Amino acid sequence: MDPFSTLGLSLRFDLDVAELERRYRDLQRALHPDKHTQASPSERRATLSKAVEVNEAYRVLRDDLSRASALLAAHGVNVVSESKADPELLMEVMELREALAEARATKNDAAVATLAARVKALEDATRRAMIEGFAANDFKKAALSWTRMRYLRRFVDEVNAIAEEKENAAARGV
Amino acid sequence: MALLQIHDPSAAPTPIGIDLGTTNSLVAYVTSLGEPTTILDCDSEALVPSVVHYAKDGRVIVGRDAQKLALVLPKDTLMSVKRFMGRGADDAETRRLSTYQFAKSDGPVVKFEVGQGRVVTPIEVSAEILRTLKENAEDELGRVGGAVITVPAYFDDAQRQATKDAGKLAGLNVLRLLNEPTAAALAYGLDSKKNGTFIVFDLGGGTFDVTVLSLDDGVFQVRSTGGDTQLGGDDMDRALAHHVFASMQADASSAAPELVRAILDASRAIKHALTANETVEADIDLPGGKSFAARVTRPEFDALIKPIIERTGPTCRRALRDAGIEVAAVDGVILVGGATRVPLVREFVTALFEKEPLGSIDPDQVVALGAAIQADLLAGSGPRDEVLLLDVLPLSLGVETMGGVVERILARNTAIPAGAKQVFTTYADNQTGFELHVVQGERDLAIDCRSLAHFTLKGIPAMPAGMARLAVSFEVDADGLLKVSAREESTGIEQSIDVKPSYGLSDDAIEKMLLTAYEHGEADVATRALREQQVEAARILAATKKAVESDAALLEGPEERARIDAAVAQLEAAVKGTDHRAIAHLIESLDETASAFAGRRMDLRIRQALTGRSVKDVADESAHAQGIEAHLGNTK
Repeated sequence: MDPFSTLGLSLRFDLDVAELERRYRDLQRALHPDKHTQASPSERRATLSKAVEVNEAYRVLRDDLSRASALLAAHGVNVVSESKADPELLMEVMELREALAEARATKNDAAVATLAARVKALEDATRRAMIEGFAANDFKKAALSWTRMRYLRRFVDEVNAIAEEKENAAARGV
Repeated sequence: MALLQIHDPSAAPTPIGIDLGTTNSLVAYVTSLGEPTTILDCDSEALVPSVVHYAKDGRVIVGRDAQKLALVLPKDTLMSVKRFMGRGADDAETRRLSTYQFAKSDGPVVKFEVGQGRVVTPIEVSAEILRTLKENAEDELGRVGGAVITVPAYFDDAQRQATKDAGKLAGLNVLRLLNEPTAAALAYGLDSKKNGTFIVFDLGGGTFDVTVLSLDDGVFQVRSTGGDTQLGGDDMDRALAHHVFASMQADASSAAPELVRAILDASRAIKHALTANETVEADIDLPGGKSFAARVTRPEFDALIKPIIERTGPTCRRALRDAGIEVAAVDGVILVGGATRVPLVREFVTALFEKEPLGSIDPDQVVALGAAIQADLLAGSGPRDEVLLLDVLPLSLGVETMGGVVERILARNTAIPAGAKQVFTTYADNQTGFELHVVQGERDLAIDCRSLAHFTLKGIPAMPAGMARLAVSFEVDADGLLKVSAREESTGIEQSIDVKPSYGLSDDAIEKMLLTAYEHGEADVATRALREQQVEAARILAATKKAVESDAALLEGPEERARIDAAVAQLEAAVKGTDHRAIAHLIESLDETASAFAGRRMDLRIRQALTGRSVKDVADESAHAQGIEAHLGNTK
């Protein structure tokens, strides 16, 4: 079952987060093992595996990237095998990451922050393009946005890693 | 709402909540009025020091009396044993300032030598503490039901398993392992009835945890958790002890265990006194009748512990990042653990989260009180239907692949229960076995993560290399414990799996310990098996009868009803006998007979949850439906 159906939500990218959270809580109130401690073994098994499925669906739908790929999969598009990054995107991301590596090496916090802000803006634009793509049932456009977003996400992960490294160093008194 | 009371409530055993702490342990329960309350020991104290003394005559002494003996017999007295749970003999922890004698270990588990050649594992030591708490509870309550035992949220699988094993060894029916911060939030949340995002900052004797959770109409949902299982008030004591040793111009590393114990104890007392005082002067009694006058000021102490406290900063910020939450969005900060009484810790937390922490519940008791509430909820006796705890996996789970690289199976902060499936294949013709190394942690290389266990899959059907499809299922239950199962997909053959825990005891070893714990051996084992099956039978009988009654409309005709009734009658007859195998068999057959019905019941609950109707509406509706049926029945 696709994660949207598991949580009883319609197949759309820009879903109502409050609704997602409410559905998730309502389902876990009915399915969580804590609610079935006195039930028969088969009922415990059935509700447990459903609770696992609901947790997994919730995890997928909460995140833009995994939600988009689940939605594309529901429309028969396998993003991992079908999407190729365009050379322009690769160049852009490579430049960004080089700049980040340099800022990291020279401990230039201001440059890291500027780059992070730039990528944040790119991410927002990509999210808008993705919403438009899905709204128009243009899955090719949506898949392109997905690829783009995945590259940007890796960049954000790196920024977070730098922040963590810095905090850890500060805590050790280096 | 009318609740069916089948059993006499005064005869029902009371579920208990246990905070098994590094320094102190507590047990609590929920009174018949719904109030969580800690249970006092014979000295009218709630806190039982987590100290176990192994006396020369073979007796085991737990608590305050053991603590007193620690000064004179430090090697036979074990303190802070929680830090060794699920740990290997090669861990850094075993080399720190302490008074223990480590036994030569034939396995990966730490063992202590406690006089007369007696050797014990941390699991057995913890079981002694749990047994004492259980006895205290029995003195107060008569019969004790199931127990919820708390663990630091950041405990890994081995540490959790060790805690659960200790519970079993102490003769407890462990209902659930509950994360300490979640327990604290439960105690606070039900107290204040406020919705919002909360931080639980838990600095105990030996462990540090931070948890970000949201509370929404009774649902406590953990968003992220982080921590350090080797950071706590003990470290402050040690830092201060090193300072005292320095001012005595003595060498800590070569000091006798008795002297180390005396200085560590004095340091802890000085730490406590510095919470209310700016300067503390203490005469420390040293072994051999001498004494040393120590003087410590708050600024001196603060300078010593500042690096320790600051280690919590990055962990807190990462937890916020993982939860996707800014400091400004935090509605409240809950302090847990005795070490949060230290003024510098409060200052640090206030500055970090930009708000004054909440402090209405005693930080030493809040975890046990929360555990008691959860035990009450799980026993199904409480009226708090809307309350639910949704917790997460604290550390990522992965398997080691070629080149020692970790392939992640479940990411940290995944909501539990959780599951994942991975397909592997054989690399040799007619290969019948397959080994998996499961690790826990965030690093890329297996060697930098915590090794959990080696799983060996056996009995793979003979096939050419690369043809077998070994589907391995990883399941993490609501206790945060991992189970692994495997099936060869092309033949559908379920694989048997040998588990070799890296830092724990195997099931066999635990079973052996349980056997020796029962004095009369075989006869006791049979009695225990019978009692267990009777309890399980009572549960399934009650559950089935209730289900058939409340969801009669879901039964497919009178035939299904008749089949279930027949299976019920057979089991009811067997329960009166003494053949535990027959009972087990009939439990299984009743369960099988009713399983399709159980599936329909679940589907109905899901539909009800998805249509967004409240539990009350549904209950009213089914009561109404039953009324109609009863009416129809009457007119027939």
